Amino acid sequence: MDSRPDDETLLLAVAERDMGAFRTLYERHAGWLAIRLSRRCNDRDLVADAIQDTFVAVWQKPRGFRGDGDIAAWLWGIAIRRLVSRLRTRGGVAAVSGHPGVAPAAEDQVLLSVEYGDIGQALARLSPEMRAVIQAVVLDGLSAREAAQLLHVPVSSVKTRLYRAKAHLRAALAEGPS
Amino acid sequence: MTGWHLDDDMLRRYVERTDSLAEGASAEQHLLSCEPCRARVTAAVTAAAGGTGLSVIDFAAVWDRTRDAVEVPRPSVFERLLRGAGLPAQEARLVAVASAFRGVWLAGVAAVLAFAALAAAFGHARGVWLFLSVAPIVPCLVVASSYDPWMDPALEPELVTPYPMLRLVLLRTIAVLALALPAVLLFGLVVPGETAFAWLLPAVGFVAVVLAASTWVSPLRSAIAVSSAWLAAIWLLAARSGAPEAVLQARTQAGFLALAAASFAIFLVRRRRLHQLRPWR
Amino acid sequence: MATASISLRDVGRTFGATRALAGVDLDLRPGVTGLLGPNGAGKTTLLRLLATALPPSQGQVRVLGLDPEVPAERTGIRRQLGYQPQEVGFPRGFTAFAFVDYIALLKEWTQPAARHAEVRRVLDLVGLSDLGAKRIRAMSGGQRRRVSLAQALLGSPAVLILDEPTTGVDPEQRVVLRAVLAELARTSVVVLSTHQTEDVAALCERVIVLDRGRVRYDGPVTELTGQAAGRVWLADEPDPAASISWRTGTGRYRNVGGRARDGVEHVEPSLEDAYLLLRGGSPEHEPAQGVAS
Repeated sequence: MDSRPDDETLLLAVAERDMGAFRTLYERHAGWLAIRLSRRCNDRDLVADAIQDTFVAVWQKPRGFRGDGDIAAWLWGIAIRRLVSRLRTRGGVAAVSGHPGVAPAAEDQVLLSVEYGDIGQALARLSPEMRAVIQAVVLDGLSAREAAQLLHVPVSSVKTRLYRAKAHLRAALAEGPS
Repeated sequence: MTGWHLDDDMLRRYVERTDSLAEGASAEQHLLSCEPCRARVTAAVTAAAGGTGLSVIDFAAVWDRTRDAVEVPRPSVFERLLRGAGLPAQEARLVAVASAFRGVWLAGVAAVLAFAALAAAFGHARGVWLFLSVAPIVPCLVVASSYDPWMDPALEPELVTPYPMLRLVLLRTIAVLALALPAVLLFGLVVPGETAFAWLLPAVGFVAVVLAASTWVSPLRSAIAVSSAWLAAIWLLAARSGAPEAVLQARTQAGFLALAAASFAIFLVRRRRLHQLRPWR
Repeated sequence: MATASISLRDVGRTFGATRALAGVDLDLRPGVTGLLGPNGAGKTTLLRLLATALPPSQGQVRVLGLDPEVPAERTGIRRQLGYQPQEVGFPRGFTAFAFVDYIALLKEWTQPAARHAEVRRVLDLVGLSDLGAKRIRAMSGGQRRRVSLAQALLGSPAVLILDEPTTGVDPEQRVVLRAVLAELARTSVVVLSTHQTEDVAALCERVIVLDRGRVRYDGPVTELTGQAAGRVWLADEPDPAASISWRTGTGRYRNVGGRARDGVEHVEPSLEDAYLLLRGGSPEHEPAQGVAS
């Protein structure tokens, strides 16, 4: 590994108001954060604003990271919540789950079952709405209310879809591989 | 840390959003703890911005906005008030940047006034004296502190800029009075009778005296001198007559008005003294 | 466009009973001029006069051909002037960026975008581009000095007056300072004061030696140094025939002035030697060996 400073060192420097360290942090993380956000919301301006808000939040509270877990996870937690916040104020804009109607190719299907086994197949068979809820709540760790804001649906819908998705997955897994 | 990493195909599918939910979820989970793969994703994303048309966001532009958001100073409440009142943005900023507008300082002044007003409301005659002694000197003290070198430590470099010092002093004075006068008036409302307004003309007079005196000596010094003189006068008056109404007489009020006019005239005549360092230290 | 210039004719300044400056005649052109002298020599007073912060008690001052006593012309001078005072207090809670931005406002940079770009430019010149968002109160003394230098550099002024710019500044920063001043001095008049001869030797082409309010020397640095040629020698013991003599770091003694015997080990004179000779070893001066007092 080269002698570049690690993220924790950079955060300490940011706490001392070092703009150079802040810039390095941005250059390291803005890229993957932006692509991950854009897979939740296809409005580029919203994603750009969310990225800006994320790094401003990091600047304001660099010691918010307690050293538990990955810094990347901490950053993602800030980023997704900033996106939700922006969506809330923008109103009327639905986030789009990143896979509108892309049917996986046959070989990918095989790949899925080989690499990801049953879960992957079971997930693939869920409707897009249910997939989106699973992604938001289970994978991104949002609360039901935050997921509702992200997906622009009522909270009750989120809860219902989550319930149904879990039921589907359980059933699909109980069935066994096809 | 296992040796498993995203292969190039997976990476491409992830960035181009042609993977499945499960693949994507797996990739994202991996990225959270793998720095080299994150770097590869960043490289792919930022490289794509120039080439294939898969530009996620304009990273350079977002950086500029982010840096501005944390580096450029935000306008304070008072500054925004001044802008709302019609002052151009840069002048509002100039005026707001004075120690006199520091919240702590203002809070202290407000506390003194509140005490005096309450004393007047509940303590009858003596309370009225207390209010009359404090209220007229608050504005001139606040004005003096807005451009005194002791409270404005950056005076020397400020002085030799092309911005007219007179304008700066006057703007700060007006801004401070716009803040201080209503505050004192508000507190004065709890005071019985005409005392609630009797302090106004003396206050204006003292401000004018301080402005004029600042062409000779440091503003804070003259404000303290004026305040001390006033307190002494009030004390004498209280001891002798016991009736605050002496200050309310038309003659006295007219006298203060004359004092204000004369002082302001002197200030304007000698205003060029403001442009250069006084031996104020 | 006329060449930048400053001229003083028989300028004097008194404070009450004290005569801080007397009989000062100067003509300054683009380039870096050092003002050398002990404490109390009148350096700060002279710099304040040049910076239009103080009027002279007598004599005539012309900066860029304009008269600071005439208000309209004084404003004209100040539009092209940068001044770094000896001490600057900073308003509480200000970051470096905020402070320089504030002075830029006073210097009539009304457009925010252009102003912010200029603030970043000068912060970068003094090596503080990464610390713009840091509170000045949280900075070291040397960093604060650099902030006060940055505000003086706003607008690349035609006249730059610096009062002890090297105080508390480390050697690397001094090199940067030299480069910045050299660049500016191609078209601007730069005057800086110091009581360290090595700063003058490193930064200036021209030197003015001030002593008790009067100009003792005014000319090229090389010429002043040359005045000590052949009058500096090293020995193992202090030479009683020398005017001044002191123990150097190597344990030998450096002797300056007076009558050297034949065969002594002459060395190349430094500016400090010439300066000491000029001052004649008068009691107010401590023969500091380039170390800040």
